[in-house]
Amino acid sequence: MTAPTPVEHRPGGARRRPAAARLRRLPAAPVSLAAGAAAWEAVGRTADASALPPLSTVLDRLVEATRQGTIASSLADSLVNLALGLVISLAAGLLVGTAMGRWRRVDAALGVYVHALLAAPSLVFAPVFFSLLGAGRASIVAVVVTYAVFVVVVNTAAGVRSVPPHLVEMAHSYGASERQVLVRVVLPAAAPLIMAGVRLGVGRAVTGMINGEMFISVVGLGRLVTEAGGRFDSAGVLAVLLIVIAVALAALALVQAVDRTVTRWVPRTWKEER
Amino acid sequence: MITIQGLSKSFTTRSGERVDALRDVSLDVGENEFLTVLGPSGCGKTTLLRAVAGLVPWDGGDIAVDGSPVRGPGPDRAVVFQNFALLPWATVLDNVAFGLRMRGVGRAERAERARSLIATVGLEGCEAKLPGELSGGMQQRVGIARALTVRPRVLLMDEPFGAVDEQTRRLLQEELLAIWEEHRMTVVFITHSMEEAVLLGDRVALMSARPGRIAEIVPVRLPRPRSRDVGGVARSGEYAEITAYLWERLRDMHAEHRPDRAHRPDEVAS
Repeated sequence: MTAPTPVEHRPGGARRRPAAARLRRLPAAPVSLAAGAAAWEAVGRTADASALPPLSTVLDRLVEATRQGTIASSLADSLVNLALGLVISLAAGLLVGTAMGRWRRVDAALGVYVHALLAAPSLVFAPVFFSLLGAGRASIVAVVVTYAVFVVVVNTAAGVRSVPPHLVEMAHSYGASERQVLVRVVLPAAAPLIMAGVRLGVGRAVTGMINGEMFISVVGLGRLVTEAGGRFDSAGVLAVLLIVIAVALAALALVQAVDRTVTRWVPRTWKEER
Repeated sequence: MITIQGLSKSFTTRSGERVDALRDVSLDVGENEFLTVLGPSGCGKTTLLRAVAGLVPWDGGDIAVDGSPVRGPGPDRAVVFQNFALLPWATVLDNVAFGLRMRGVGRAERAERARSLIATVGLEGCEAKLPGELSGGMQQRVGIARALTVRPRVLLMDEPFGAVDEQTRRLLQEELLAIWEEHRMTVVFITHSMEEAVLLGDRVALMSARPGRIAEIVPVRLPRPRSRDVGGVARSGEYAEITAYLWERLRDMHAEHRPDRAHRPDEVAS
């Protein structure tokens, strides 16, 4: 036992052991992923259930499907559906949400629909779209929109409503027009809540994409899931699931990059590691 | 310069009570005069300022600036807010230039005028900082610079130093006086501090609460430039006298609003 140096006297805390210190320095996300993969592998091997093959089997299956070329074309198909649905959802969500947040009468008129549709299981509209828009891309995009748009609307409206009134008043004192107030004050102030809504919307859009592709017209990644399911090929289903997760995470990373630039000014309240 | 005649405004509180925020307020502010408005909290002094700024409607009476009636915010007036009202996502430069931007001034001229005002309030080097990175005193310097960039004829200040600590407050008062000595303009300055009202004002408009009205206009005939230094007016007997008088009046007003000391006409009659 060496004599304690002054640095080691932390108020109320025990001396930090070197091993614990090393553990703390590890990046949290990769470690968590590795732990999850190991757990999957272990459970898959011990359970020996056909519905849950170990991760290594699923990865083998993924490599095989990629070589056959089915993944690439389906993925491209799905991404187009997702992108179209997201663009429509964001445009409509921002527009309707801003109007609802800014004007009480718009909120009174549309709020009930938005909240009803936000709570309703979005897939029930699939047959409606199917009969109205046919079995093509339009129906799938419509499903993506019904999954994603309402959470964007609700968050945008909440963000716009939460703008500090004194900032709006300040803008008015300099003669700002309604358009200037919206663009220069309201939307920037609402950005953190709007971006939170977009993040949720992206996750829901990916769900909508897969569901639409499985239940309306069998295309894209949804078709691969359906086909693998029909063959009772659990490894195949899970392999596609991995792709879907990758798509979702990539889309979220994109949103977070935008989020970081538009909400750089928001003071962070989470606890930083020392 | 500013003519306020018979201004009245009442509003309904959340409990349904009718409150006279302002009743029959008449007041003239001269060209380049520094008028301070002093009163107990809830006397309607902020409402008065917001009405002159054109930010709130009123029920009766007239406000005119330079002979033209006030019907909303105008380029002749600029407001400095108690809570600073800075855009937290915009840099100091963009905040100071905000008023110019709203008024359609081009980017280059905006930046030039904003930089010069940033220098005036002593914030050189902070142009790229966000308001959240500044102290309260520095934030209000940004607020003052923003108001001055639009070159208003009337500067409306709503308890601008109420949210900063006493030491910063004194510094800001001295800086405001120095700026005003150099760029004379009409100032209406709301405060709840007797000392601040006397140090800054040519006249003090003393307001009483419920209903909000002008109780008295107290002239402050102290020489300028004023300062707290040795030999400055803030050390003079007259300064102390006016301050003490204002406090006396304010204390009486506060007493009237204490239920146990309230003046009850029916009891007097019996």
